[in-house]
Amino acid sequence: MTSTPRTLTLAWLGLVVLTLAGALLGERSTPGIWTTLVIAAVMAIKGRLVIDHFLELGNAHIRIRRLVRLYACVLPALAVITALFGPHIARLTTL
Amino acid sequence: MHAATLPLPTTPADHRIPGNTGIWVGIYCELTEFALMFLVYFVARAHHPEAFHTGPQQLSTAAGVANTLIMLTSSYFVARALFAMRHDHTRRCLRWMVLAFATGIGYPVVKYFELRWNIAHGLSGNGEVFQMAYYYLTFNHLVHVGWGLLGMLWVMARAATGAYSSKDYAGLEAFACYWHATDLIWLMIFPLLYVLQ
Repeated sequence: MTSTPRTLTLAWLGLVVLTLAGALLGERSTPGIWTTLVIAAVMAIKGRLVIDHFLELGNAHIRIRRLVRLYACVLPALAVITALFGPHIARLTTL
Repeated sequence: MHAATLPLPTTPADHRIPGNTGIWVGIYCELTEFALMFLVYFVARAHHPEAFHTGPQQLSTAAGVANTLIMLTSSYFVARALFAMRHDHTRRCLRWMVLAFATGIGYPVVKYFELRWNIAHGLSGNGEVFQMAYYYLTFNHLVHVGWGLLGMLWVMARAATGAYSSKDYAGLEAFACYWHATDLIWLMIFPLLYVLQ
């Protein structure tokens, strides 16, 4: 599946809206796990939009598609994991 | 058949390598390099939660948002340029590429003013853990954007001299993949450094 001008424009608009909403959330909300969850979800959605519509990996080699999609999921997940288990990670990574 | 519904003249799904193999070796290297830096970021964040809580408040969110919008918009223009070339609209492709470059060059310009703002506000990368993570990640990304802008000039010159067509646009697509991957990395950097407290 390749992107059309319409899908590209819609993806770009979605990305712009999510960027502005994410920045507003960061500025206005109280830091906490729920804020982290929302920010991580926004990261993952934006990543997926770029991967599917700009990079057009929907019809790419399966290894390329899976690896790049995994990348955009693992990083937001790590943000949540660090927020939840920061002290444990600190203990595990102390020399 | 409407132009927008033309199929790609390529191999079947699940086997297609967008652009060429070489660019994906480069993109994998880029993703791996940043993955290591992100790991350092998360470990540092786990060890110094207070520094990473106050860190984003010290940065210019406006600069971060501006560069995110610049990367997204430049990526969008590149995607439109690729679409135009797939349908043999060389002049239209060039116009989109010019727009992509004009937008993309805004990234280092914003970075320059952001750096001046940082120094004026005492963010000089003097060993404080959040600042170190911020400078390592963002300067490294700036270098990748720099390569991308040079690559953009190259594919613009190639497109202008008729090197690409609807039957052969692998070089242009390879560049597009690199630019979108660099955009993707910034979409991870921006919330981690500027938004997440």
